[in-house]
Amino acid sequence: MGTHLSALRPVYVVGIGWHRYQPASDTPYPVLGLKAIRDALSDAHLIWEAVESSYVATARLGMAGGLAMLRHLGALGRPLVHIENASASGSAAFRHACIEVAAGISDVVLAVGVDKPGGSPRAASQAGLGSLVGGAVVPFTHFALLTNAYVQKHGVSPRDIALVAVKNHRNGARNENAQRRQERTLEEVLASRPVSGTLTSLQCTPTGEGAAAVIIASAEGIRRHGLDAGRAIRVAASAANSEWADAGDNHDQAITQAAMAAALDEAQITPGQLDVVELHDAFSIEELQYTEGAGICPPGHFIPLLKEGAFDIGGQCAISASGGLIAMGHPIGPTGIGQIGEITQQLRGEAGARQHKDARVGLAHMVGVGAVCYVHVLSR
Amino acid sequence: MNEPVKSRLFAMDGTSAGPPVLVGGRCACGYVFFPMQTYGCEKCGRHGDALTMVYLSGRGMLRAFSQVHLHARPHPQVPFTVLSIALDDGPLIRALLEPPVDPDLCVGEPMVTTTVQQRHEGRDIATLRFKRVNDGGH
Repeated sequence: MGTHLSALRPVYVVGIGWHRYQPASDTPYPVLGLKAIRDALSDAHLIWEAVESSYVATARLGMAGGLAMLRHLGALGRPLVHIENASASGSAAFRHACIEVAAGISDVVLAVGVDKPGGSPRAASQAGLGSLVGGAVVPFTHFALLTNAYVQKHGVSPRDIALVAVKNHRNGARNENAQRRQERTLEEVLASRPVSGTLTSLQCTPTGEGAAAVIIASAEGIRRHGLDAGRAIRVAASAANSEWADAGDNHDQAITQAAMAAALDEAQITPGQLDVVELHDAFSIEELQYTEGAGICPPGHFIPLLKEGAFDIGGQCAISASGGLIAMGHPIGPTGIGQIGEITQQLRGEAGARQHKDARVGLAHMVGVGAVCYVHVLSR
Repeated sequence: MNEPVKSRLFAMDGTSAGPPVLVGGRCACGYVFFPMQTYGCEKCGRHGDALTMVYLSGRGMLRAFSQVHLHARPHPQVPFTVLSIALDDGPLIRALLEPPVDPDLCVGEPMVTTTVQQRHEGRDIATLRFKRVNDGGH
């Protein structure tokens, strides 16, 4: 039998940094990535020479983009690897960086995500199997179908589901790294461009570019480099899985439920103990499904609790305090790493206008097409 | 993604009295899937001769639908409607509605296969769609 990350030596997040998520621009990707990495090094009070190994998450740049960026920090001959796992690329890079440190192979490791919009065909479309819908079902229609099913099952209105976007745009407006930084009323969300089913454009993540970086260290790394242990945030659990046969239309919720349960069990906490949660809310319906899947509330209870403010910053559990994928954005490679940065800021008490009071335990969740799921629990 | 080869996905033969059937598969373990493939069973991993082609009924129940307002490609032309259907023979599939928009469509209602002629690379080919069983006599 295998073991859990938490059964190996402790791993801590010691540095975080971003290049703001933004609409596609002429900025070359190394400029995005280097900004995030230098900010993470500076946040940790580390020099680049201390970083023993790098994990580069990217889904859209093409083959082997890492060294073309990292060399400008000093090409020191250290190992690096690229990780592509669709929307969860950054989460996967973080997990494997943690595993390297937890296993004792390295004491200080970088996980960086960087991406720009571009062509990246899905391999599954070349699997040689036919489909009745071809390219007619893109992610927003997949989630519009799930929205329709949820509305039927729980008797809520699409108007209520749009409230998720109102909350997340409000949070994003307070986040300097968010792509969308404007508060939106429910009427504005509902009146934005119709996309598919009842989903409107302000309930869908925007496409964009950006970068996020985190530096992970062992206790030995923290000691050896004289880092501030008081700002180090423990990685309490890491869970990952993929879709199984017969998982059904709502496979993302099914794999989320299993990965959440595994991560909470590993961290030895209950869903009620979570203070801050970052979810893969690329489409408004997802936040409902994953919150319910995590057991933070029972199925069908999300909307009434949302209306009471339970998921606001300052509520029972702050969900998508960063603005989530809907407002902060979803440049793909960076997204899962940016979530870790947000949770770290929250648990350090350094989240400024977005600070959730007394945040002690946080969770970051991503799914990626395929489907794959990652859940990390952080604690202080 | 290229337009899929739809002729391998459904069949008209043996169905003179009924709607087109879907070309699915059954594994020796009992798992029924769509479309037919011989790569291997996603339930148990058996492959090759363990997987046999079966015709699946073109009937099913509508689980969810979405009318698409925005599409990056010229085809299908918006608006069109995507369906999630639980086939009577088991598999959950996705398909397009014929006609492309039907304001009376209801989750839970029975659906059935139909074909439409589509122009593809200069010739007309039959493409599979689903329609409502109770469509007011159309």
